[in-house]
Amino acid sequence: MEFLGEVAAWFSDPASWEGRNSIPLRLWEHVSLSATALALGVLIALPIGLAIGHSGRGARAAVAITNIGRAIPSLGWLGMVLPITLVLFERGGLGFLPALIALVALAIPPIVTNTYAGLREVDRELIDAARGMGMGERRILTAVEVPIALPVILAGVRSSAVQVVATATLAAVVAGGTLGDFILQGIFVRDLPRVFGAALMVAVLALATEGLFALLQRLATSPGLRAATDVGRTS
Amino acid sequence: MRIHRTLALGAVLLALVASACTPGGGSTSPSASESEAAKPAVTVGSAGFYEAALVAEIYAQALESHGYTVTRKLELGERDVTQASIESGEINLKPEYLGGMATFLGADAASDPEVTFANMQAKLAEKGLVALNYSPGTDADGFVVRQETADQFELATMSDLAAVADQLVWGLAPGCPDNPVCGPGLLSTYGIDISQLEVESLPPCSTQMAEALNNSAIDVAQVCTTQPDIARFNLVLMADDGGLQPAQNLAPVVSKTLLDAAPDDFEATLNAVSALLTTDVLTALGVQVAVNQESLPDVAAQFLADNGM
Repeated sequence: MEFLGEVAAWFSDPASWEGRNSIPLRLWEHVSLSATALALGVLIALPIGLAIGHSGRGARAAVAITNIGRAIPSLGWLGMVLPITLVLFERGGLGFLPALIALVALAIPPIVTNTYAGLREVDRELIDAARGMGMGERRILTAVEVPIALPVILAGVRSSAVQVVATATLAAVVAGGTLGDFILQGIFVRDLPRVFGAALMVAVLALATEGLFALLQRLATSPGLRAATDVGRTS
Repeated sequence: MRIHRTLALGAVLLALVASACTPGGGSTSPSASESEAAKPAVTVGSAGFYEAALVAEIYAQALESHGYTVTRKLELGERDVTQASIESGEINLKPEYLGGMATFLGADAASDPEVTFANMQAKLAEKGLVALNYSPGTDADGFVVRQETADQFELATMSDLAAVADQLVWGLAPGCPDNPVCGPGLLSTYGIDISQLEVESLPPCSTQMAEALNNSAIDVAQVCTTQPDIARFNLVLMADDGGLQPAQNLAPVVSKTLLDAAPDDFEATLNAVSALLTTDVLTALGVQVAVNQESLPDVAAQFLADNGM
């Protein structure tokens, strides 16, 4: 109980809310980094997933290659990327950029895999019917395949988002700030309430992200599909 | 600094005399068989990181060359673990850092190693432990700059650095503003107000910190004074002329029981080893272990051979 009181004291200390080491600033660093990483991840992964899902070609190679993103731990990505970004951009090579690269690598695989899987699960007869109605390939993709696969695709995005939010803490080891900086501070000055408080915020943020995407996923499911099955995550 | 050097010189001379007087000081130790019965078993432990483990291994090999039987329990964990082990008798020798050990035992850690050593010794005695001579080298927190920055601003000391602090980008530990020997200490000792500086928050003593400095992303980096990166990137350590950092020289901590049971060559051997451990030597050994990935026993054996032990 005493410990929780110390955690509460950290949160209620006015010093925690102002200056360049404030909770709002660290939270903003965390959210902006995570959001950028997720947006870039979607921009890169979605076209790949759609291409291999629609054509059915190159799937094995694409999934294998993008999976390198999560096969290499994020700390490993940071270690590999930092020396390069530092040489290229000096001070700009610290913080946001190397952390972003590591997080994008982490965000891509679930989206590629789920998009591919979502499209492949679409009933072949529906696609044949669409083709028989004279739809072009692009139209089949946008009007038939994507709407049906959308819940599965979004499940992939949701999975990425949660991982990215949780992992963004690591940015602190490359001067990226984020809530992870509080965790490092707490470790270095033996202030465990600060470690716990920051970890708690990361957990809440991750859960909120999960909830937000769960809601999006629900809204994006066409009423017909929603009645038939409750689509969960496949990744 | 002068106290340092005088002590170091004194310790080296003492060590030379001691080793000259020790029968069978060579590695073949002809008199080992007759004195073996009198030599108590040594169990050496260390904290869980390479420098502590390496120094423990060097102590171990030096003692073995004098006919002692040494069991190793290296990299046990953090100080709370190693301290519990030596108090319980599970180990009876471990290398320690003066400031860290003193603070852990509730004693004051000063920048003067002699003072810190005395404070630590008093607390150790209560637990039936004794520290032998400390090394001239210290693994304290320090601040380094690139050679070019040192040349440009003619920097050699923290006071020099303070004069140009606001023209440089600083790499500081997360939590520096809350650490008495970081933010508040820099302000009170050197007038460096970190809240007015350009700062990047990076783990101290980390490779990232050193790489950021080497690549000009930052201009000043908070490091550990024996960090291999200092030698690797030819960085310049600013002398702590204001005496901000607590002394972190290395000393073997042994149980009183062991010390009393052991013949004189036990203490003399450990003191001779400690006397060799300058900051430069510790940094160079660190490069071999942490950068070149050479094995601890090899590095320790080579080091002792190079120094004729």
